Amino acid sequence: MMIVNYIGAFALIVLGIYCMVVKHNLIKTVIGIGLVDYGANLLIVSVGFNDGGTAPIFNLEELTQSSFFVDPVPQALTLTSIVIGACTTAMSLCLVIMIHEQYGTLDTRKIRRLNG
Amino acid sequence: MENFPILAIMTLFVCAFIVSLVGRRNVVVRNVVVTIAVTVPLVMMLCLIPTVFIDGETIVYWLGNWAPEADWAIGICLEVDALSLFFGLIVTVAVFVSGLYSFTYMNHDDSLVNYYTLFLMLSGSVLGLVLSGDLFNIFVMIEIMTFTAVALTAFRNTYEGALEGAFKYLAVGSLGSTCVLLGVAMLYSQLHTLNLAQVSALLSSQGTNPVTIAAFAFLFIGFGSKAFLFPFQPLAADAHAVAPASISLMISGVLTKCGVYGIIRLVYVLYQNYDQPIVQYLVTGFGAISMFVCVTMAFNQHNFKRLLAFHSISQVGYVITAVGLGSILGVGAGLYHAMNHTIFKGLLFLTAGAVQHQTGSLDLDRLGGLGKRMPKTCLLFLIGAASISGLPPFNGFASKWMIYQAAFLHGVTTGNFYFIFICVVALITSVLTLASFIKVAQSVFFGQLPEEYKDVEEVPLTMRLPMWVLAILCILTGLFPDFIQEKILTPAVNAVFNVMGYIDAAMGTGYAAASGVTAAGIEGIAVTGTWSPTSWLMLLFCITCAVAIVFLLASPDDKQKGLPVSSADETAQPLDAKYEPFFSGEEAVYSQVGGSDLFWGFKHNWRRYFHFMHDWHSGIVNDYALYGVVAIAFVLLFCIVLL
Repeated sequence: MMIVNYIGAFALIVLGIYCMVVKHNLIKTVIGIGLVDYGANLLIVSVGFNDGGTAPIFNLEELTQSSFFVDPVPQALTLTSIVIGACTTAMSLCLVIMIHEQYGTLDTRKIRRLNG
Repeated sequence: MENFPILAIMTLFVCAFIVSLVGRRNVVVRNVVVTIAVTVPLVMMLCLIPTVFIDGETIVYWLGNWAPEADWAIGICLEVDALSLFFGLIVTVAVFVSGLYSFTYMNHDDSLVNYYTLFLMLSGSVLGLVLSGDLFNIFVMIEIMTFTAVALTAFRNTYEGALEGAFKYLAVGSLGSTCVLLGVAMLYSQLHTLNLAQVSALLSSQGTNPVTIAAFAFLFIGFGSKAFLFPFQPLAADAHAVAPASISLMISGVLTKCGVYGIIRLVYVLYQNYDQPIVQYLVTGFGAISMFVCVTMAFNQHNFKRLLAFHSISQVGYVITAVGLGSILGVGAGLYHAMNHTIFKGLLFLTAGAVQHQTGSLDLDRLGGLGKRMPKTCLLFLIGAASISGLPPFNGFASKWMIYQAAFLHGVTTGNFYFIFICVVALITSVLTLASFIKVAQSVFFGQLPEEYKDVEEVPLTMRLPMWVLAILCILTGLFPDFIQEKILTPAVNAVFNVMGYIDAAMGTGYAAASGVTAAGIEGIAVTGTWSPTSWLMLLFCITCAVAIVFLLASPDDKQKGLPVSSADETAQPLDAKYEPFFSGEEAVYSQVGGSDLFWGFKHNWRRYFHFMHDWHSGIVNDYALYGVVAIAFVLLFCIVLL
């Protein structure tokens, strides 16, 4: 069941890496960074999933040994990671806008003043 | 006392917030807040020295008092053992110096409130990383660190290439961060905990399986990318060349140390696989390649700070090499060099910043002769250059000496030729470093003074003071290696090998023994031949005497001996100048030897290699991402197949 999620997660990561390595457009590079992030998020949230478990919301009286619920920690991690991913995208898009103003292009092959 | 770690981190983050609130209205208030923010954590870290270094205690602080319940760590903790405190001290000293230097250095720039806010956030995240006892917390701190460092790299966004350098750093750096995240997720899926101490205990009781091995590979390459190890070094070069000098100090002195800290924690505490030859090959191999490739790349550079950036990664390569040896002496040498690297590299970046502040240029081909106009900066630069090249009696020599010994000794005891080869590579790298710094000194401080820099003035005292702090530290840590070893390195190395103490401090006494972690402790760092400054002074004295005697005994006639006599008449005189010692240009014909021409023979013989490396650092972000991906794939395959 969860194997689909794992395959999906790594497929997203590989697609993102492909996008970063092959595509010569800065916006596409940013999309690649985003895809890698989403893949990682999917992986974490899948790690904590228990098939048939309920939402992990209890008060102390309800919580017994037999309670069966999904692991809440990976969900918290995923939320944090999503926020960080959004920051990455926002910040890299800011930089892309300013690079376009200065260089007049988005082609990575022309944005290489720092080299050698 | 146990609240100091959290207070130190909070001071930096809260002051970052306060600066952005009040700093816009009043410059004095802003500077006071920044001064408080950079001083208080340093004082707190210094206050922890008696408890942690001398008494050998480990301070554990559970956030929100969520202590472990039923042997299961559910809260987030800060865990400060001697290793964390060692890196915490490095971080706070660097932050302190960088903050003080910024006040004068940044006075040509505007929107400084943003600068200080980001600067304090960067400092806080780095301190949080080295003091944290939680894997996910480490990931979050790495991300904050990367973002603020990227924003500060692009701070002078009108500067040539600043945005470009920042974008490359962000894009390829996020690849490294994602590796850390994947590693954390895989570890969590197997062990269901994020606490470093518990992860370590469970890994040794459950043993490793392919998933945890893959997590090891991801975490290793993730931390390696944060230390800018090969093949991530182009990012460091781009970021350093365009960032303000105070931020270059932070990137080189502090951010790379986070990567080093991460690798030490990973190999020695979490997985405890430092004694496996495969891991030793992996870590020392990456270190050795980084140090050699980066030092040769520095030969090609024409930008002062870009050159320093390559040297910075080269020295981090030394640290990683020494740490990867897995011996007590190796770890001690690595930590010593990590400390020294922050000091001398910080000093060199600050002198580069001083040159940039006064002349407005970092171009090695245009600068020259500044030693006449800025003698004090020149002296500071020479101290830093002598330290990084490993000349006695400065600190670089003391730590490199330990690294050579550690590598050679490890090669001899294991009978493995590989580690002896590593030792030779380290020696050659040190020679090349010296050559490269002769080039910089010749290009910037000696030679002829160009017309446009005739009126350059010395930097003000407020900028020289932070540099002097680092220069004095350079000399002190070099002159008293025994003291440093006994008081600072021994507790830190002890903490690296005392995994049992680390686990028990967090999880309660007895937890480590129940998980099968055995007690390990070391008596001290057994250095076979400690460097004694006095014997070197004696040697220096003897050589001076010998040279003086030779000069005094030589008669004026002897000095002419050996010169070919073309003709007997007086016109032969100008020809003789050709055979006199040649330093920099001929005074007679008023020619200047540019810094990049100094080693033309060496560069000519190695031209194919240099051309290849020049093309390899293409500046295209896709290529850099590709190198990163190849490195990830290589480490993943290497670990899964061989471990």
